[in-house]
Amino acid sequence: MPILEVKGLTKRFGGLLAVNNVDLSVEAGEIFAMIGPNGAGKTTLFNLVAGLYKPTSGQIFFNGRSVYPVREFWRTYSPPIAAYYTVADAVRRGVGLGPLPLGLKPHAVTTLGVARTFQNIRLFSYMTAVENVMVGEHPRMHAQVWDALLNTPFARNEERRVRDRAMELMRFVGLERYADQYARNLAYGFQRRLEIARALATEPKLLMLDEPAAGFNPQEKAELMQLIQAIRSRGITVFLIEHDMKVVMEVSERIVVLDYGEKIAEGPPQKVRTNPRVIEAYLGKSA
Amino acid sequence: MKSKKRLSLGKGLAAAGRSQTFLYLGIGILLILFPIFDSDTSQVNVAAVAGVWILLALGLNIVVGYAGLLDLGYAAFFAIGSYAFAILASGQFNIHISFWILLPASALIAAFFGVLLGAPTLRLRGDYLAIVTLGFGEIVPRVFRNASVFTGGVNGIVGLDQPKVPPVFGWSGNFGFNPIPWYYLILGVIIVSLFLINNLRNSRLGRAWMAIREDEVAAAATGINTVTTKLLAFALGASFSGFAGTYYASKLFLVAPESFSFQAVSVVVLVMVVLGGMGNMRGVIVGAILIYTIQTYLLIQLPGWIDSATAALNIDWLTKLDLGHYAQQSNYLIFGLILVGIMLLRPQGLIPSAQRKVELELGTSEDSLAELQGQV
Repeated sequence: MPILEVKGLTKRFGGLLAVNNVDLSVEAGEIFAMIGPNGAGKTTLFNLVAGLYKPTSGQIFFNGRSVYPVREFWRTYSPPIAAYYTVADAVRRGVGLGPLPLGLKPHAVTTLGVARTFQNIRLFSYMTAVENVMVGEHPRMHAQVWDALLNTPFARNEERRVRDRAMELMRFVGLERYADQYARNLAYGFQRRLEIARALATEPKLLMLDEPAAGFNPQEKAELMQLIQAIRSRGITVFLIEHDMKVVMEVSERIVVLDYGEKIAEGPPQKVRTNPRVIEAYLGKSA
Repeated sequence: MKSKKRLSLGKGLAAAGRSQTFLYLGIGILLILFPIFDSDTSQVNVAAVAGVWILLALGLNIVVGYAGLLDLGYAAFFAIGSYAFAILASGQFNIHISFWILLPASALIAAFFGVLLGAPTLRLRGDYLAIVTLGFGEIVPRVFRNASVFTGGVNGIVGLDQPKVPPVFGWSGNFGFNPIPWYYLILGVIIVSLFLINNLRNSRLGRAWMAIREDEVAAAATGINTVTTKLLAFALGASFSGFAGTYYASKLFLVAPESFSFQAVSVVVLVMVVLGGMGNMRGVIVGAILIYTIQTYLLIQLPGWIDSATAALNIDWLTKLDLGHYAQQSNYLIFGLILVGIMLLRPQGLIPSAQRKVELELGTSEDSLAELQGQV
């Protein structure tokens, strides 16, 4: 069963069709890459899957479960709530509005097992590196407000456990020496790694990396590829956007190519590389 | 070599920690002995009221300093705490619930209203949230003023119950207008609050607040439910003003709507937090004490000082100018100038939190989750 499945996904920003009727599926355990020229809609697709944007139309399934639209989800689990949506949608259509824009919230998508990094690194700049990773553990912690207020033994134990686990992840990405530095003081490459560690702390089944090799030198790229392989061998599916062809061709098992929001090719690297439409999209039409 | 370095660093930290413990112990002993040195107890009374402001500033610091939500209507929760006590412990409806029950209960009531205000507004960011909270802060005292059947209208409610404890050391145990037990009570409440807030800050929840303050989008993407986390900030922040409200109303023996206006409470408490150092409890306490002193002592004494200074100089035209009179009239102008001066000299606050210090120098990201999702 595919871990992530996208059907007929469309996203419009006013007059701009950012993602147009895209179908794709990511199989569990693979390293799947999405490429395409600038503005092809890759990051928009990531944001749709992560719940940051609501699709204009289309469906997203994670492990066979609907992430969007939620209507399908409720139709199977709670008819009364589904009925509420139907009525609300009808009323909104009646007054000229679109249907209720309902999908899972970003944090709910994360707790389902989808973690991500950002193209323009978004760390908690003024928290230490290890605290950044500990934030990633937040959804799986159980200390309640009163535990927090009274600093109960339960909360203390959990804090210790979480810190240890965070340190372990810091070691995994090779940053254990920088645990107590402010995230913003880390070197650029380390910040990218820290973001990956934070995403891993949420214990994802699917990790989405948005241009992880951007601005890297060849040495750093080689290390990154090792890291991606290591993540996959932990049983985590990797879905990445990347511009660097060398990285994409070497690390990924399957590639999908987007251009102007549409899928123009899909398949193993060797096949995609020789696809005439892909060459055209990247190099332009030959005269 | 590395381990050696770490060891010496550890030692340094331990030494710093020890001297800090001594410092706090010293301050604690001074505070406990303070009423002994004050023969007519007037200063003890001032200190007890200052304690209310410290409590308010500590509560607002949770919302503004930790979670980064600009709340301009904090007075509303203070008012709700006060009126909750006034209605449930006075002759107004002849309900007399014990102060000791209402102290935590009104914190819960204020927290409930914190959630009530937070729920519809937390999608808003910075400036917009500030405007909505400002509105709420204006509405609540007005409701209390107009709902005169319950609240006594403009006159408020007079003759509130006061706490009682079993008699000790020949003292009857009635608080009444004796400032000394009031002083110890607020001291105790503040110490407990400091303990609780410190725990909060170092907890899972505190970390989530900071993450939201730093980058809301990334916080949501790491699995933090931004809505409930912000609501908790509002609720917990409000609950401390509930404590303060109960104490204040009972000590004053009355509540009246005009004591909870924007300029009297919301702004003053915000100034205490910002000027003291957002996100740093020590800073916030110092800020609260400083602003309170300026307001209740400096601004009131200033005209007198100016008058006696001009009289001493004995210059004819200077005496004729009557500067003291102007100083009295331009009370708020002088207050404003002092604030501007302090903020120019120390924009990061008197005792800034380590994070704020760097942030102010380097700026921070300002995207909001709602904004991203609002794109159609």
